[in-house]
Amino acid sequence: MVNPAAQRQTVLYDEHRALAARMVPFGGFSMPVQYESILKEHDAVRKRAGLFDLSHMAQYFFTGADAGAWLDGLTVNHVANMRHGQARYNVFTNERGGAHDDVIVYRFDDERWMVVVNAGNAEKMLAYLRERLPAGVEFVSKHGINANIALQGPLSQRLLAPFADVDLAGVKYYTSRECVVDGAPAILARTGYTGEDGFEIFVDGEHAPRIWRALLQAGRADGVIACGLGARDVLRLEAGMPLYGHELSEEITPVQAGLAWVVKFDKPAFVGREPLERQARADQYARIVGVKAADGPPLREGYLVKHEDLPLGEMRSGAPSPTLGGNIGTALVAKQAAAPGTRIAVEIRAREYPAEVVALPFYKRAK
Amino acid sequence: MAQPQGLLYSKEHEWAKIEGDVATIGITGYAQESLGDIVFVELPRIGARIDQGGNVGVVESVKAVSDLFTPLGGEVVEVNGAIEEDPGLVNREPFGAGWMFKVKVADAAAQRDHLLDPEAYDQLIQQAEH
Repeated sequence: MVNPAAQRQTVLYDEHRALAARMVPFGGFSMPVQYESILKEHDAVRKRAGLFDLSHMAQYFFTGADAGAWLDGLTVNHVANMRHGQARYNVFTNERGGAHDDVIVYRFDDERWMVVVNAGNAEKMLAYLRERLPAGVEFVSKHGINANIALQGPLSQRLLAPFADVDLAGVKYYTSRECVVDGAPAILARTGYTGEDGFEIFVDGEHAPRIWRALLQAGRADGVIACGLGARDVLRLEAGMPLYGHELSEEITPVQAGLAWVVKFDKPAFVGREPLERQARADQYARIVGVKAADGPPLREGYLVKHEDLPLGEMRSGAPSPTLGGNIGTALVAKQAAAPGTRIAVEIRAREYPAEVVALPFYKRAK
Repeated sequence: MAQPQGLLYSKEHEWAKIEGDVATIGITGYAQESLGDIVFVELPRIGARIDQGGNVGVVESVKAVSDLFTPLGGEVVEVNGAIEEDPGLVNREPFGAGWMFKVKVADAAAQRDHLLDPEAYDQLIQQAEH
């Protein structure tokens, strides 16, 4: 049993309590898993907008002319060639090609960068990066100091516009802008983890409760509500986005996770490059696939996956999908069971239920 | 919150309404609220013999799998197909249309000693919330 008293609180903790959120331990923090209903929160994000507290995730800032080149050596995607204002998904790898963490890297100008890491990996990554920090690169952690408020859903831009001093139409997908939000200096990024349009607001924690309340108030008439980690997990799963510890881990590589598009073998050197290249070339690895089951119980992590009566993998995530109907999930399966259309069986409480391997993502929003 | 009268309650948050030798079984308002959105139920088979306190099914919310225990033992005589079709009914009407199954009870008098009246159950959940 996790001791709730040992969990840290984000600066928005009192807001969550005031909204009667159900709090759970997550990544060392006490976080809202749901407010009133995961299904209602999911619906708000797909159709209107929802507000998330992501202040448990760590914001690490790096400054220095060589910061980009240094990060290039530790990650699979390109860093130094990013444009000013660009954001990019990336993975820090270990010597075997497994993932230390998956992150978003934000570049602001020639010398300044931010890396947003998962809460559960924050301490590990802090130590890892500090140990390797080169001379001339400054590292400042704003974990627990800065907040991150994410506004996600089709109404996001309209709702946020009156609070920001920049034209949001000019902040393109996967870019960020340093600006002022509701009077506070902030980094405004058009990034998210829901499969919808939306923004993340990185701001000093002292301003966060005010901005949180202002956005909820502004969106109330449109049905915009606070959303917890439960809705976020279903949203990201539908959008085919990996969750560290499920589709990616120290053992599950980005190649296995279906993130080959992120792994740039044209980079001359990075940690884990050789094992990843061997793995990709041999193409015999167990891999993450989408799984869909029309009816039956929800698919969940840990369930055994069989193909032609052979155990060939296990479920890594799962949930009922409000957008598609039925149950969806991801599984790590042997290559022979990985092609979309493959009929598989998922063992749930000693009974086998039919399911099908499908291409990811399950859901893609209309542009 | 006051609990509906005329029902008996278990510490595992099920209710039973005894009418003659048949009892209707469901989960309480507190239980459905704690679980969150219910998306799947697995009920016992009609004709199954079940023991008081036994694990007889499953209730799944978006996030979690919970065992369903029966507050009374006997023979299952009816199950609520409506909640298999629409599990959200358990959230909306836990004490009404969201009932789970009916059981024919041979020795209700002896079994009911193990259950709580509405006031005692209300005390139990007040304590659970603190």
